[in-house]
Amino acid sequence: MKDGFQGLRLGKWMLGLLKQRAAGLFCFTFLALGLVSLINPAFLAWGNLRDIAVQAAPVCIISCGLMLVLVLGEIDISVGSMMGVLAASMGAMVSATRWGLSPWIAVILTLILGTLMGALNGWLIAYLRVPSIMVTLGMLTALRGVTEVIMGGTWITDLPPGIRYLGTGSWMGLPICLWVCAGVIVLSTWLIHRTPLGRRIFAIGSQPRAAHLAGLPIQRVKFLVFAWTGFLTALATLVSVPQLSVVDSGIGVGMELLVVTCVVVGGTSVSGGTGHLSGVVFAVLLMTMISTLLIFMKLGENATYWSRAIQGLFILGAILLDHLVRSKKSS
Amino acid sequence: MKTKWFSWLSHPESLLSCLTLVMLGWIYKEDPTFLQWEVQKELSTHIWETALMALPMTLIILTGGIDLSIGSTMSLCAITAGMLHQHGVPLPMGCLAAALVGLAGGWFNGWFITRLKVHPLIITLATMAAFRGIAEGVSQARPLSGFPKSFTWLGQASWLGIPLAGWLFLGCLALCAWIMHGHRLGRYIHAIGYNEVATRYSGIRVNRILLGLYCLSGLSASIAAILFMARRNTAKADIGAGVELGVITAVVMGGVSIFGGRGSLFGVCLGLVLIHETREFVSWHWSRDELNLLALGSLLILSVVFQQLLGHKRSS
Amino acid sequence: MKSRSEASVQGVYSTLTLLAFGLMFGACSPSENSQIGSESESILSSGKRITIALIPKKKGLPYFTSCASGAEEAARELGNVDLIYDGPTDGSPEKQASMIEQYALKGVDVIAVSPNDPEVVAPAMRKAREKGIHVITWDADAVTDARSYFVNQSTAQAIAYGMVDTMVQDLGGPEVKAQVAIVTAYLTAANQNIWIEHMKARMADTYPNLDLVAIKPSDEDQKLAFKVTQDLMKAYPDIKGFFGISSVSFPGAAEAVKQAGRSGEVMVTGLATPNSMKAYVQDGTVKSVVLWNTAELGYLTVQVGAALANGTLNPGDEQFVAGKLGEKEVAGDQVLLGDILVFNQENIHQYDF
Repeated sequence: MKDGFQGLRLGKWMLGLLKQRAAGLFCFTFLALGLVSLINPAFLAWGNLRDIAVQAAPVCIISCGLMLVLVLGEIDISVGSMMGVLAASMGAMVSATRWGLSPWIAVILTLILGTLMGALNGWLIAYLRVPSIMVTLGMLTALRGVTEVIMGGTWITDLPPGIRYLGTGSWMGLPICLWVCAGVIVLSTWLIHRTPLGRRIFAIGSQPRAAHLAGLPIQRVKFLVFAWTGFLTALATLVSVPQLSVVDSGIGVGMELLVVTCVVVGGTSVSGGTGHLSGVVFAVLLMTMISTLLIFMKLGENATYWSRAIQGLFILGAILLDHLVRSKKSS
Repeated sequence: MKTKWFSWLSHPESLLSCLTLVMLGWIYKEDPTFLQWEVQKELSTHIWETALMALPMTLIILTGGIDLSIGSTMSLCAITAGMLHQHGVPLPMGCLAAALVGLAGGWFNGWFITRLKVHPLIITLATMAAFRGIAEGVSQARPLSGFPKSFTWLGQASWLGIPLAGWLFLGCLALCAWIMHGHRLGRYIHAIGYNEVATRYSGIRVNRILLGLYCLSGLSASIAAILFMARRNTAKADIGAGVELGVITAVVMGGVSIFGGRGSLFGVCLGLVLIHETREFVSWHWSRDELNLLALGSLLILSVVFQQLLGHKRSS
Repeated sequence: MKSRSEASVQGVYSTLTLLAFGLMFGACSPSENSQIGSESESILSSGKRITIALIPKKKGLPYFTSCASGAEEAARELGNVDLIYDGPTDGSPEKQASMIEQYALKGVDVIAVSPNDPEVVAPAMRKAREKGIHVITWDADAVTDARSYFVNQSTAQAIAYGMVDTMVQDLGGPEVKAQVAIVTAYLTAANQNIWIEHMKARMADTYPNLDLVAIKPSDEDQKLAFKVTQDLMKAYPDIKGFFGISSVSFPGAAEAVKQAGRSGEVMVTGLATPNSMKAYVQDGTVKSVVLWNTAELGYLTVQVGAALANGTLNPGDEQFVAGKLGEKEVAGDQVLLGDILVFNQENIHQYDF
């Protein structure tokens, strides 16, 4: 936690990063980057780095919320299906052949819907005290069904330019989703380090009993964090789905797994209490980079069927390295 | 008297029993043919693999762990047996090799968890990708089929009106029940779930128990893979995809606490029955697969909300 | 441990939750009858009623929804057909096999399957045939002994050759040297793998100038198809063509080419329904889309199923009268739909599915 203020100066920041849990990940990412740019320098082209960042942005946005959920000692595996419902309803709202609402209203309604779904999760978890894994596991299944019902067997193929701009447009040379992602990261950093809410989240996660005795509003904090995750999921949907021209019913399938992997590989403790945004951001970059790396290494036809195995080994490698670095540090 | 009634109902098992009975009653009213023995026997073939893997998963979740890699282990085992069969190795040897691969996969998870102290969720997330990836790579994503009749017979045969896979499950269930209730290991497993550190300090070999449990999980995945191959006459790298979700849903539905220490095998069996009957009946009756997802998700949430509310009634 | 007021608040909450879920359920159940099919419209029925279960590879794909609309039309025209249209929403072959087993137990008259994995589904189909149910395949074939007829809109070979030929034509003829890549669904997707085999064979035999540099899975995720195409274009700057061989990988790949500003320079072709490709065909990113008349495919399937159940279609027949479609050719155990449709700038706006 106290390392977070070192983010002001780059050198110190990097040193701080090395001291953190994300150190192994940091090294691993750079190792991989270095290796692949030796094989194929085109990887380091600006256009490619930008595309990787664009792909990482929605994952990163959701991870910022999910990290807080994990810090609280809870979990949310419903984000993928939530994305599906949000994409479907957003598409249905703007499609001229369905509801034909104006993009502005659709954006606002989508954000509200996302927050409401997150709030429903949060309400069941915080106020009815149902274990989060069960609530979100149920939501994961049920919301996928809702998506199919909304789509009704046809896809949305007529997204208006107004909404497509969110996904394809750019501002001051950078795609909009990167701005949004940067905003979310800054906001989350501020939330974690500068606000009472941030401190409370960490306090509750590391010692719920003590936090309860200290009079912290545990229920309200949990509720807010889940609602916030829902809001961020809606935000991620808004900037990523309009990148494509077709809204299909499979949007967000497996997203929960990717996000959870990123957050835990990024050094967030599964049992709550600790987590670093920098580690999570690095993990997101690493995870979205892997498949691009594999394509740039041009491993040939034989490697086609091994790509998933290599991805798995990559994650294993990151975990191992992280472990080694940490055990070095503690000894 | 009234408080006693509530305290009885607040056990997840009794609540689930009531839920199961109500549901079966309703199904009987709607469509009695669904509950005929022949129909149920045929449909039961869809659940045995999940059920078999749910047993070790229950024990693992009782210790506060989780194993997400079982679906991928299944595919790896199936590919092992299938490839060996294709290269002329007799199928029983292939199945043995598959079981060894399953054990090795489980041991690998267990080793990371006990030695490197990696959280089970993290390591099994990683092996979930790695194992399926290896299966895909080795088999080049091709299906392997053409197993002998004697093997596929295993998937269809039944004894005393129950499929062989069902007997296998009942046997494993009896074994697990004995471990949990008739052996000190059961107490240790609960203890690890309550407080791993305290258990360690009381001189119990926690690492050995955990390693054993993850190996058992891998083994059960390999048996499930063999059952699947016998039933569908195919081994392929995509089998068992998403199976872990079904297994975990059944276990948590059965009232096993995800934080460990609390839950029973009986509850898990009820959870399995509920999920299986819901899934089959919804597509039997409405023929709309998307409703299935809605029904399963709502059932899971509803049952835990009920459990929670009745539990609160008791405490207040 | 709790105060009284908090307990009553809990009570209110619980009622609300139950209400919410009750509504969620209730909202979906009334529509149950509409899907089960033509019960209400078939008062004209004469003779015995026939139940046909039409199982797509994946429910919720517009491709199959449009097939189902044709199937419903045929059921309405025939009058005595109850049509059930259902399939796995996640496209899992195992679930498809389970559904076949369910319908066999339920005792429907005809099961028409579009197998997502011929190997996995075959045992269940054979079991259904042993029970005396007419099992036919449509859209994609299974192992031949597992079904009686295959309603054939196009063989796997014809589809694969069609895509390669279209690509060569779009690239400007067989003499043009070009790197191409395939963006498939899953690496394990059975149908796609058969197509890839045939595509490779076609490239090796007829078009040696095509160089297949990569086959990449998109895991039925449009986003991933987009990303993979983007990466391939950068890693292989000379790449000239992409095959998007599933209904989500095609629009994903086309979008990547369009956003890279290389429309017209990098060719994209594949299989998809016209609605999702309209924008790309109109702006020139995609020159032609290969498909067939899906509604007619569903229509013909139900006609064949009903004829089998009525006993009007027998082995050895060479012609089959399929309602409004007229006479269709029967080749052995295959009923042929005929004409493939190629959508291009001129005709794509005429189709809406």
